[in-house]
Amino acid sequence: MFHRHPIHCIIPPHMLREIAERGSVVQQAQALQSYAASSQLRGQRTELTGMPSVAQTQAAAGKERIIYDAKETTTLPGVKVRSEGDPPVDDIAVNEAYDGSGATYDLYHEVFGRNSIDNQGMRLDSTVHYGESFDNAFWDGQQMVYGDGDADVPEEERIFNRFTAAIDVIGHELTHGVTQHEARLLYYTQPGALNESMSDVFGSLVKQRTLNQTSAEADWIIGAGLFTANVNAQGIRSMKAPGTAYDDPVLGKDPQPGHMRDYMNVSYDNGGVHINSGIPNHAFYVVAREIGGYAWEKPGQIWYRALKDELQFWSDFQHAANVTYQLAGSLYGKGSLEQQAVVTGWKEVGITVETGFGWRQLISIIIALLNQLGGGNVIPAAPQTAREER
Amino acid sequence: MKIAFERSGGFAGLRLTATIETDDLPPDEAAELVQMVEDARFFDLPGKLRARPGAADEYQYLVTIATDDQRHTVETTDTAAPETLRTLLNRLNALARRRR
Ligand SMILES: [Zn+2]
Ligand SMILES: [Zn+2]
Repeated sequence: MFHRHPIHCIIPPHMLREIAERGSVVQQAQALQSYAASSQLRGQRTELTGMPSVAQTQAAAGKERIIYDAKETTTLPGVKVRSEGDPPVDDIAVNEAYDGSGATYDLYHEVFGRNSIDNQGMRLDSTVHYGESFDNAFWDGQQMVYGDGDADVPEEERIFNRFTAAIDVIGHELTHGVTQHEARLLYYTQPGALNESMSDVFGSLVKQRTLNQTSAEADWIIGAGLFTANVNAQGIRSMKAPGTAYDDPVLGKDPQPGHMRDYMNVSYDNGGVHINSGIPNHAFYVVAREIGGYAWEKPGQIWYRALKDELQFWSDFQHAANVTYQLAGSLYGKGSLEQQAVVTGWKEVGITVETGFGWRQLISIIIALLNQLGGGNVIPAAPQTAREER
Repeated sequence: MKIAFERSGGFAGLRLTATIETDDLPPDEAAELVQMVEDARFFDLPGKLRARPGAADEYQYLVTIATDDQRHTVETTDTAAPETLRTLLNRLNALARRRR
């Protein structure tokens, strides 16, 4: 299977490669700003993608999952152990990956009308038992990958359980695939933290919907159950109270800020993408708290539309604030309770929504024009097939 | 041989750093580590090894190794690292963790 992207085009691949490969984090951030200034940026996807409608894509292909077992090697994808429609197998990690990716597909499909990662029915591949005692889960650009946690050390020293144990982790990883096909948020500094936050938001929504929890009932903890009982932790991150998920003599304290005044400018972790995500995470939490009810409904809709139609590879927190405000207005009415909730959400993390005309909008319009003039191809997308032949 | 090791990122965003001086290790462990550095052809590796576009949540490794006559820094991720380098990274990670 070989599928093409809709034309959601961005900057020339060599430029992206330049910033991504050559620069330090600081240089990358500078490059980003100068690109912004020179307006070499992408246009509005909505008008240009020529994306098939939901009805059309639904006819194409539905939910199709495959779970592979790497058998503690690092060879991907590994041996196929469960395919769509197969009954459960005698391996909890396999079944968790299957059920979790199914619940994530269902959230995107049933709530947002999206057909899989690429909105064209892309197959959902997951590999479990990756590496020896691998204490991580990741999206490799094509598939989800899960390690077994610290199986190699004595039980009393273990920090991590297997990574499929938390359903929001599965939703988080799969959402990285969605982001890769939509906003394409660069994976460093603020765009990177926004990328991380989108994954936490939709991962948490998968969990909340599975448990049928309202925003008031949800714990808003990301990765509950990933740390073993040896760690003094509720989970990996807290959207409700960033910085409070764990405080442990061995691991230290959860470093996440929940306000712009505590934003961490660091060189590691691609400029702190897993740290500063606490800020937009908390904004979403507040919006959901203010609107009330099920968070995947109105708050989820606003955030999904932002990810799909408005956010761009260079988007920072301020841009996310501005577009979610605009979206809340167009979806639920200007001055509506929902739009007020968005203002409150960003305000609580130290960001004031800009309602006037700013450089961020200017960039979007210029790129849209550039693309329109060039038939949508002036600024091509980074070449990428969603999946290599396997 | 002196090794500065940093692992950051990953789903949990935990950072782990260590400075390892082979002279401080038991001789057999030190010899093994030096062999791993050699097997990985560390000093011939490019400074940056990149994961596939769109990849996220991979651990980010930053390793600097200095001997009497050379010094080199490599930045990589799990999937971007060749097998021999990965063997070295796993060992460094275990050493760093032991010191945590
Ligand atoms: Zn695509
Ligand atoms: Zn992530």
